[in-house]
Amino acid sequence: MPELPPVEVRGLTKRYGTTTAVDGLSFTIRRGAITGFLGPNGAGKSTTLRALLGLVRPTAGEARVDGVPYAKLDDPLRTVGAVLESESFHPGRSGRNHLRILAAAAGLPVERVDDVLATVELTDAGRRRVGGYSLGMRQRLSVAGALLGQPRLLVLDEPANGLDPEGIRWLRDFLRSFATDGGTVLISSHVLAEVAQIAEEVVIIHRGRLVAQEPLEALTARSAGGAAVVRSPEAARLRDALARAGLEAGPVGDDGLRVAGPAERVGEVAAAEGIVLLELRTEGASLEEVFLELTAGGPA
Amino acid sequence: MTRLFRAEILKVLTTRLLLWLGLLVIAFEVLVIALHVGHDSLDSLASEGNQRDAVSIAAVSVLISLILGIVASAGEYTHGTINHTLLVAPVRERVAAAKLAAAALAGAFLALVSFAFAWTLATLLLSARSVPLHLFTQATLRLMLGTVLAAALAGALGVGFGLLLRRQTAAIVVALVWLLVGEPLLAIAGAERYGPGHAIASVVEAGRQGSDLLGFGGGLAVALLYAVVAGTVGTIAMKRSDVN
Repeated sequence: MPELPPVEVRGLTKRYGTTTAVDGLSFTIRRGAITGFLGPNGAGKSTTLRALLGLVRPTAGEARVDGVPYAKLDDPLRTVGAVLESESFHPGRSGRNHLRILAAAAGLPVERVDDVLATVELTDAGRRRVGGYSLGMRQRLSVAGALLGQPRLLVLDEPANGLDPEGIRWLRDFLRSFATDGGTVLISSHVLAEVAQIAEEVVIIHRGRLVAQEPLEALTARSAGGAAVVRSPEAARLRDALARAGLEAGPVGDDGLRVAGPAERVGEVAAAEGIVLLELRTEGASLEEVFLELTAGGPA
Repeated sequence: MTRLFRAEILKVLTTRLLLWLGLLVIAFEVLVIALHVGHDSLDSLASEGNQRDAVSIAAVSVLISLILGIVASAGEYTHGTINHTLLVAPVRERVAAAKLAAAALAGAFLALVSFAFAWTLATLLLSARSVPLHLFTQATLRLMLGTVLAAALAGALGVGFGLLLRRQTAAIVVALVWLLVGEPLLAIAGAERYGPGHAIASVVEAGRQGSDLLGFGGGLAVALLYAVVAGTVGTIAMKRSDVN
């Protein structure tokens, strides 16, 4: 029996009155990978994640975690850790007590509270009231709550919002570490550069519909039209050889060529001709460029 | 279910709300009982009914329990903590049931402390004026049990109402307006005794009904019905609502 995907969204639609927030959205994510969930503001990311977490009732379709709706998970906190956008806390309650409440509801030992406070570096502030926390500290407290049950899946909705550069770096390092240890992450963001640094795969939505789902590298390469950039001390000879092979190339700098073709084919031609190469790479567009290109019009 | 109940009790105990509400009740009791015992004549104070009236100010804790119940449910939406609650416990009926039970217990506890304070204060002040005490009677015991039971019902009623409105301030205002304006208007139709406020008051009075109150049994049945209906309707509203 094939392994169930950690997250599966099938034909998900959510309407609020006459407004359609999510429109027949379907995608799955791969276990053990960091998947970026991207889209412009209002694209339906938060609604999708809230439907996945059982907070919003779909108008049609469904969203499943490990093959079952969130509400039917035996032990939600041990399965999924979630950080929602603009997390709210009771301002008069301490961060530690907030976590104690979650631990009590989930049947977790209180020792886990101190463990996760240490993980997010909030041990010293844990007994202070959340009303006095900075935005970055609140985000860390959210992450601590998500980690309480030691889940293997993290669902994060715009976790970098409002974080200072230090906080963003902390979050990035933390998520990399989590994924290295075998965890799965679904992270939504409009901070595209941030996602580009950590995500292996991306799901892009626009106006509630799927625009693209691919590995990050494939997406950027595809967007660039499969062009390759090559540098060689014999650029002119290489250009002639490529032309004979049916590959059009234009000059880039003194010793470089931009070739309208895959890098693998360029390498084969150079090897056949005995031409030394100093650099050979697929020319990839930045994730921002891809994102803007894909979401410029309507959904694909 | 036990876990959720414990979590709900922790929520009540980990903010200063219960402390402030308790202090408010106690301050009110000090004011009312001191004025009562300080100004009444010794002959008047010597009557059992008068002493019982002095202690019955503890029934203000029933109203405070109603507010506590509203804050325990609608407050979660106001502060946005309902997200965390439902992520840990996505089956909303269980969350609602835990809230109902926790608010009933917290209300009963508040009423018990409130009554104990009022009784102790009245005993001390009456003794200071050398008034013979009639506060060790069955009527006083019935008053205490009625107050505790009514506060438990009010707490549960508040949770149901709060889940229905899901806006803390609006729910408190609507509840107070109903008790102060809406329910007295029922008197026009002669039906005020069947209103939730009067039904709960009947439980407090426990056998010493005024003309506009139901008997203890009838009041308890009607108040329980209101608490069950509010809890059920609130739970359905909670179950059907999106949390955005």
